[in-house]
Amino acid sequence: MRAREPDESGVAVSSDGVRIAWESFGRGAPTIVLLPSAPIVHSRQWKGQVHDLSRRHRVITFDGRGNGRSDRPVTPEAFAGDRIVADVLAVLDATATPAAVLVGLCGDGVWPAVQLAVSEPARVLGIVAISVGVPRLAPPHPYRLGHDFDAELESYDGWAKINRHHWRTDYADFARFFFSAIATEPHSTKVIDDCVEWALEGSVDAMIADAEAPPPPEANAVEAICRAVQCPMVIVHGDRDHCQPIARAERLRDLTGAPLIVLRDADHLAPGRHPVAVNLIIRDFVAGLEVAR
Amino acid sequence: MIAEARSGPVVTREQTRARYPDVSDVVERPDGVRIAWERYGSGEPAIVFVPTWSIVHSRIWKAQIADFARRHRVITFDAPGNGRSDRPLDPAAYEEQAMADDIFRVLDAAGVERAVLVCLSRAAQCTLLAAGDHPERLLALAFLNPAVRLGEGLASRPEYSFDDELPTDAGWAKENLPYWRRDFRGYLEFFFGQAFNEPHSTKQIEDAVGWGLETDPETLAATRRRPSVQPPDLIRLAGAIRCPTLVIQGAADLITGPGRGIGLAAAIPGARLVLVEGGGHLTESRDPIRVNLLLRELVASLPPTRGGLDAGA
Repeated sequence: MRAREPDESGVAVSSDGVRIAWESFGRGAPTIVLLPSAPIVHSRQWKGQVHDLSRRHRVITFDGRGNGRSDRPVTPEAFAGDRIVADVLAVLDATATPAAVLVGLCGDGVWPAVQLAVSEPARVLGIVAISVGVPRLAPPHPYRLGHDFDAELESYDGWAKINRHHWRTDYADFARFFFSAIATEPHSTKVIDDCVEWALEGSVDAMIADAEAPPPPEANAVEAICRAVQCPMVIVHGDRDHCQPIARAERLRDLTGAPLIVLRDADHLAPGRHPVAVNLIIRDFVAGLEVAR
Repeated sequence: MIAEARSGPVVTREQTRARYPDVSDVVERPDGVRIAWERYGSGEPAIVFVPTWSIVHSRIWKAQIADFARRHRVITFDAPGNGRSDRPLDPAAYEEQAMADDIFRVLDAAGVERAVLVCLSRAAQCTLLAAGDHPERLLALAFLNPAVRLGEGLASRPEYSFDDELPTDAGWAKENLPYWRRDFRGYLEFFFGQAFNEPHSTKQIEDAVGWGLETDPETLAATRRRPSVQPPDLIRLAGAIRCPTLVIQGAADLITGPGRGIGLAAAIPGARLVLVEGGGHLTESRDPIRVNLLLRELVASLPPTRGGLDAGA
């Protein structure tokens, strides 16, 4: 059951033919697009935002390729960074949205939003960058390093569960570990249960393809793209983010000049665990845009 | 052990509240026991949230207060034994009639002539006594998961001696004074784990354990040593109720069992019974929107009250 059902739904066809399922809620300018953290979860990750933001704005969500009602390609090329950017563009076109505010979480959400703002600046009115996962801006958490995705092991413990063989044999175990590890605040059981459920609705083949996708550009190229962002942006990051180090958010702030709001004692899944704080930040940011006046 | 337990309530800094009271005061019983009460908001009819067992205090209503105070005068108070009220060790202080009298003492102190009473669990029998004493002051009644000796009890809950040292402290054997003295927090965590048996209740359990730690084993033991109104009197009191009455009962209640709410609703003429599927014992905390909307419906069903008559405080 949802707090708010969509007013419209449809399917966009991305540049490589992959079909992307979208939904739209409410009306009011500017349109806000909530980007998916796919293929690990799907558009319901924004359940704490949709009903609230759609009272004042047209809100568009879509399922990223590999989960939800979208197609599930299984080739690594299908998960290259530019393909995800093309998906956002396809959804903007399919919904007749000339330009929108983009809200993204982690690498799957923030990095495509940044790239689109640079490649198609007329289509991006602003970016809310949550739990910043722009690659290479700072090293990952040390505990995420040193695990071989392809190695066959006796047992898969902790972050070693990010492993193709373990995913094939016990994806649910990985999902429960992963979301428990990045939702460490007290009283997160519902957030974790929801995320595990959405993960299990997705495709393991797509997850493996995504893990094998072509790597992002080198650090200096990533930084150059971030510097080139012209639209307004606000950065939101928990100071206990166990998925993405806050150093990435600080670097993005330094590169763009965008303000960084640090959520105290917050872990990675702020939109689910701190919906009121996140919604108020999005509201304030959107209300402050020129276009909204 | 005893000296340690009596060293006083654990002083914790209160969480911030969504809504702060407009009036926070104390009323004294004839025997000197002080009862702390609070008033939030304005608007008719007044709604009184009657305190339940002193294992918690009036913050158990935190999910109701802010909502109802937007439209109504909301009155809460702490039963003796917890919150800002005194903690007498004499079991007589916790007798059901004394607790029923507290309701009107607080209404008088707050300047409220007539009110809707909302009670939870162990407040049910006190509220039945209050309804018998002053039916003219009650506009409507709501019983949430009533601990009332009507209907079917909970067969799955074993009875152990409260005072004797037991060979086990597994499960409900924790409902035992020697165990309380050893590990009061352990008892509270068990009890509220049973009370909040729904998934995703960690916050509610943490809150309630914190409120429990504001009292102590000896005080809470005194609250258990009171005589109870007997079933024939309960049936008579329930049958005499004439105001609109709502009974909300968790269908999966592991503390008093769903049979209690069903039995009470059957004994009150015209009472509306709502069974919350999968609901545990403390639905006001675990399912507050559902409970608040049901309470709103109850209040909306009443004829308009003339606010001017008793609105002065």
